[in-house]
Amino acid sequence: MMAGEMRKSALMAIDEVNQSDRFDFVFAPHLRDPGGVVAAYHTACDALIREEHVDHIVGCYTSASRKQVIPIVERTERLLWHPARYEGFESSENVIYVGAAPNQHVVPLVRHMLDHISGDVFCTGSNYVWTWETNRVIREIVTSAGGRILAERLLEFGETAVDHIVKEIIERKPPAVFNTLVGESSYAFMRALHQAATRDGLSIPMLSCSLCEPELKLIGSSASVGCITSSAYFESIDGAENRAFVARWKARYGADSTLSVDALSTYVCVMLLARAIRRAGSADVGAVRRAAANHRYDSPQGPVWVDPDNNHCFLTPRLARSAPGCQFEIFWEAAAPERPDPYLSNLDLAAIGTRQEKSNDTMMRRSNHLRVVK
Amino acid sequence: MTRPSPFSVRGRRALMVMRDEREISIVRRQLNRLGMTISEHDPIEEPPLVEAIDVIVLDADSIPIKSELATAWKCRPPIIALIGTETPSRLKWLLDLQPASFLVKPLRSAGLYTALVVAFDSAQRRIDEAAHLERLEDRIRSRRVVLAAVLQIMRVHGLAETDAFAMIRQTAMRHRTTVEQLSAEIVALGGMPNRNSRTA
Repeated sequence: MMAGEMRKSALMAIDEVNQSDRFDFVFAPHLRDPGGVVAAYHTACDALIREEHVDHIVGCYTSASRKQVIPIVERTERLLWHPARYEGFESSENVIYVGAAPNQHVVPLVRHMLDHISGDVFCTGSNYVWTWETNRVIREIVTSAGGRILAERLLEFGETAVDHIVKEIIERKPPAVFNTLVGESSYAFMRALHQAATRDGLSIPMLSCSLCEPELKLIGSSASVGCITSSAYFESIDGAENRAFVARWKARYGADSTLSVDALSTYVCVMLLARAIRRAGSADVGAVRRAAANHRYDSPQGPVWVDPDNNHCFLTPRLARSAPGCQFEIFWEAAAPERPDPYLSNLDLAAIGTRQEKSNDTMMRRSNHLRVVK
Repeated sequence: MTRPSPFSVRGRRALMVMRDEREISIVRRQLNRLGMTISEHDPIEEPPLVEAIDVIVLDADSIPIKSELATAWKCRPPIIALIGTETPSRLKWLLDLQPASFLVKPLRSAGLYTALVVAFDSAQRRIDEAAHLERLEDRIRSRRVVLAAVLQIMRVHGLAETDAFAMIRQTAMRHRTTVEQLSAEIVALGGMPNRNSRTA
């Protein structure tokens, strides 16, 4: 589903660039759809570069597909404009990472959980790199703050048999559930947990750093409500740029259509590319990379610019709660765009979870199982 | 003291021993991203003192095999070797340095983090293994003392060998000391030390 949303967004951005007199060039899009088959990404990009002589490629949603494309763009000195947020620990010279880095999505959410919900958390996710790495970050932050990972339950990609996990959650009643399931697994899980929790009169906070508006519709209006979600974009962002963008999107794709962070981010990719080409006066990869660096774009998600230190973008982290009507109510946003830190090398664990009450919590918890021996 | 995790590399100090400007800029850029401290050293000069270095990134092709410098890099912080030439003569030289990990040239931004994590992990393992070996060697060295103590106890208490050893082991446990240490005391005193207080 996300691939279709991203394509729609890229085509809209390309039309806007082509129709605008602020750009004295036009984009000629070449579309390829590897259909999520990982091995097909290599072939598709190879063909785009060899046969169509494409310099810039916008796309890839999963990390597995991006890892297929990187060796080709590095070897042939092309640029991949990557819209999706991802787990970090990468920094290719031939990729512009427009999606959020882990310090911009996971870290703010875990910090919020520790400060306002609980230090103890039940994790469930899909069995692949996104969950593995996100859970590692959660574990590192949570344990350093004196909290506990109560469980880590993984499901295979696309698996929708979620009852055993729901049953365990209902029985153990964890103070928080961190959901890194993706696609159908996540929708099935959220529906089943909502049903079981409602039946038992329970309210268990759920957190996600990937949930987006079109998914709320797929999950269903009641089961999708109340999930605390971290993202650099929500359709509900207030501001003239975003309101105009949403209006243009709905005029093009229908009043019922919904935006998502991945669609928005694809739009931002095309706009960053167009503005860099205009600034460089050429589509040459080296010139465009240099022109894109630090070139601020006031996008629908606020100011965005490429950090030349690691080719990731300055973005504004936001936290929201999914609300009735398949929208998000934003309750926090960073005061300014945050510098990307793909290797989390500036993550200061000591600064998270050192509040007074928390250290008291930790002492009390420890006193349950440690005795002073003299 | 808790040992540093090999995954957290921020603040660790790297020494780059390289000549190629393009490769230097790739490594320097990536080390900066990881928040490491960087110093540089020209491969054709004598190795510097390296107390304040946690890892060395060494261009294996930059040092002539048959030179004084080749051996001077041994027994130092973990080395990440950058390998261009894969000839057995060069690799043999490299094995002597016991590199903790390596990267094959041409370099790209991906790979250095893995090389660092592997280097820090294997350096820690080497330290742990060396300490373990030392403990084992200590025990082997004191085997003669233990044997003498067993004979002493057999004679004094009229016990069989198995019972004499069991007595030493139980006493050592009660006194919270090792069999080897207690044996040394038995040999020195000519019998089981009469202790009511616990040794530290």
